[in-house]
Amino acid sequence: MSVTHSPPAQTSSSVAEDSTPRPVTRRRGRFRGLAERHALLVLMVAVAAFFSLFPPSADRFPTSENLSVLMGNQATVALLALALILPLTCGYFDFSLGATAAASTVLTAGLMSFHDLPLGLAVSAGIGLGVAVGAVNGLLVTRWGLNSFVTTLGMATLLGGLVQWYTGGQTILAGLDPRLAQFGSEELFGIPQVVYVVAVVAVLLWYLLSHTPFGRGVYAIGSNPRSAALVGIRVQRSAWTTFVLAGGIAGLVGVMALARAGSASADNGTSLLFPALAAAFLGATSVRPGFFNVPGTIIGVLFVSVAVSGLTLSGASAWVSPVFNGASLLVAVGLSHYLGRSRGASTA
Amino acid sequence: MSPSSGRMPAPREPVVRVTGLTKRFGATLALDRADLSLRHGTVHALVGGNGCGKSTTIKVLAGVHRADGGRIEIAGTTWDAVDYDARAGRSAGLRFVHQDLGLFGDLSIAENFAFDAGYPTGLAKRIRWPALIRRVRGLLHAYEIDADPQTPVGALRPAQRTLVAICRALQDQEADQHLVLVLDEPTATLPQHESDALLTAIRRRADHGQTVLLVSHRMPEVLSVCDDFTVFRDGRTVATLLDRTPTEQELVAHMTGTVLARTIDETVTPGALAEHPPLELPTAPPPPAPADDADPETVLSVRGLSGGPLRGVDLVVRRGEVVGVAGLVGSGRSSLLRTVFGQHRPDTGTVVVRDGAGRRHDGGDTRSRMSAGVAYVPEDRGGEAVFADLTVRDNLSVAVHRQYWGPWGMDARAESVDAAALVGRYGVRTASVEVPLAALSGGNQQKVVLARWLRRSPSLLLLDEPTQGVDVMSRADIYATVREAVGGGCAVLVASSDLLELCSLCDRVVVLQAGRVTAEVSGAQLTPDTLTALTQTTTAEPAAAPAAAVPGASR
Repeated sequence: MSVTHSPPAQTSSSVAEDSTPRPVTRRRGRFRGLAERHALLVLMVAVAAFFSLFPPSADRFPTSENLSVLMGNQATVALLALALILPLTCGYFDFSLGATAAASTVLTAGLMSFHDLPLGLAVSAGIGLGVAVGAVNGLLVTRWGLNSFVTTLGMATLLGGLVQWYTGGQTILAGLDPRLAQFGSEELFGIPQVVYVVAVVAVLLWYLLSHTPFGRGVYAIGSNPRSAALVGIRVQRSAWTTFVLAGGIAGLVGVMALARAGSASADNGTSLLFPALAAAFLGATSVRPGFFNVPGTIIGVLFVSVAVSGLTLSGASAWVSPVFNGASLLVAVGLSHYLGRSRGASTA
Repeated sequence: MSPSSGRMPAPREPVVRVTGLTKRFGATLALDRADLSLRHGTVHALVGGNGCGKSTTIKVLAGVHRADGGRIEIAGTTWDAVDYDARAGRSAGLRFVHQDLGLFGDLSIAENFAFDAGYPTGLAKRIRWPALIRRVRGLLHAYEIDADPQTPVGALRPAQRTLVAICRALQDQEADQHLVLVLDEPTATLPQHESDALLTAIRRRADHGQTVLLVSHRMPEVLSVCDDFTVFRDGRTVATLLDRTPTEQELVAHMTGTVLARTIDETVTPGALAEHPPLELPTAPPPPAPADDADPETVLSVRGLSGGPLRGVDLVVRRGEVVGVAGLVGSGRSSLLRTVFGQHRPDTGTVVVRDGAGRRHDGGDTRSRMSAGVAYVPEDRGGEAVFADLTVRDNLSVAVHRQYWGPWGMDARAESVDAAALVGRYGVRTASVEVPLAALSGGNQQKVVLARWLRRSPSLLLLDEPTQGVDVMSRADIYATVREAVGGGCAVLVASSDLLELCSLCDRVVVLQAGRVTAEVSGAQLTPDTLTALTQTTTAEPAAAPAAAVPGASR
């Protein structure tokens, strides 16, 4: 389906024939393309402006305190959404990333609390767990050709169970290195420190996906894996790498979550996964419509969090947040489908 | 009910008579007053070279295409060909089994039958499984297919699968009703022993009174099984042979038109052909001299290559030379190219490629072949060559991404400039390089794929059906592009089913049959007629080797 212009119907047609309608189409196409690319950003600004003026939230929404809380709370969701888009770009789902993050949280906390391991080692173990889980997922999906949807769903369930076993269902509170919680709560230049971590990861991922041969290859794999193999792209290895990187970032998400919360609850990570999925799919409608991309994903996260924060501050009940997340996920997937180029859904 | 029911045709009486069938596609006349007459209870072969109009005839009979003129008479009912459609054909009793059998491999034979004829249902639309299985078991028994109705179709041997498809197509045949079975290339993808089994079964059906129209490229097969023969050439019927088995040379002579004028001739005698010696067919080429390998002009040297359908291929392609590969479906045409590109690993044999700098490379996967200077344009453009949702620029640079990468990321500007230059140079018609490739026509997509490879300045370009689904204008552009590359010293190996294309593009054409090079043609001998004759006659004995190499148990 052509969004930006009308395809030349017959190549054998004369030049005069197709030179007349083209300028009009192209101008309209360019405007449409521009509107399409930045619709989400405009929508986010509009929502933010609304809550800044809407009387019930006007005095609390547009404050630096609220902005700081909002960004700090959404840091983990943003990081997880960035992890999700890596396999999604290749055309694979990874539903285990939420559970991987939860397992990483619990392992990092448990190693400090139960085994008195130093902070650095515990954090490395948490991230290492994510890398290992990603490597296994990647092997199952790329080497053995298992369905990514089912495989990672199975892995998520398995990890959720292991978290229950490891913690005994209890929240781990005692014996944590205070420096971690300190890092999670402190601000630098008025912005929570965890946000800088997100920014660094986002910039690195953006460079990787948009500005390296590897990233361009990943998009090619997502477009047509068989063609990709025939132009010399290492399809299996690249796809496996995206799973490993995503797992590693999910491990980091776990550590960040521990830093923010200061404790590790026996959670299965679903509460983190679904908003992140919503953001990733929202992001695929923006900046580079039809493709999962880093800036779009960040805008997606901000859009959801701004809207939910505004609603909460206006006095909406607790159920509003999941309803909004769910609704925006549906709209995002619908939009991606309308754009006709979302390959994430087609490989499931 | 069907008009043919209630009327029992006498043996050997014509049941289908097509006269003056004409079909035009744009400027091309695909069928030019063609005639075809099927007698009841016979197996009738419809043969001819590529583009002779036999597929068009089948498609008209199946109602896929509507003819522009002519009459179609089936079992006593006559249609003006212009009014004939799929429903008319079905009610008159034509049943089709295409090369793609349309079976669901995971489902049982019984269910495959039910999808065609409907499930027998009982109370509350419940499926009456016992009734269905009983009926299908009876049908399989009647058609001498040794399989249980509950077996998944995918577990059957290839010949049995085709028989199941035939049985399914004829499942509503009543005792007094006589359907006409049309088989389109049923053996094209079958190994020798499987196709023997299938043909025996088809013969037995005919002996039971089944009328069969068989379209096939394999001459020995049609000769072994058919009673009557109709030969098409350039959309016309050039010969109709009733109740007489001609020789292979005779049939091929009709196809290539070396002997007979383009008139209907029902009284051909074998003697008439003997006076005109058939085309002088070159025999198997002498094995290339061993010195070729060391020759710096040799870009590709293939020795004793076996694997997949290939059974020992020897081939040499020199610098600045275009070598064609002709052969029927299943002859190993595409496999040869894929193996040279490192996509398939050969069982035995060597493939040595010389890159632009003169270094020799052997073995390796796709990536090492690419670095050795090999480029490959696959047959299935949509499935294996393009990235439809990525931009034209992406599609052009996907094989050279690394050259734009620096410490500051991808050099987007240089990439766009180069892409625009390539679009201009190769005459790609697109609004801009930032348009998704899917927005381009097939011909322009193919130009992009070619440009993607030619920008790498390959020493060897492999083309598989380079102009399939490409419009006439783009086709000319693509030929010009290939010639230009050859002028620059590139060696080209092109596989195609379009014999005219091979003749106009190639210096030399090798003919593959059952995975072997059986002939090599060049110079004045390089004509579509020679190639038709060479691809369709058996100069080698393909039966022995494949039967030994493909054990039936593994299928």
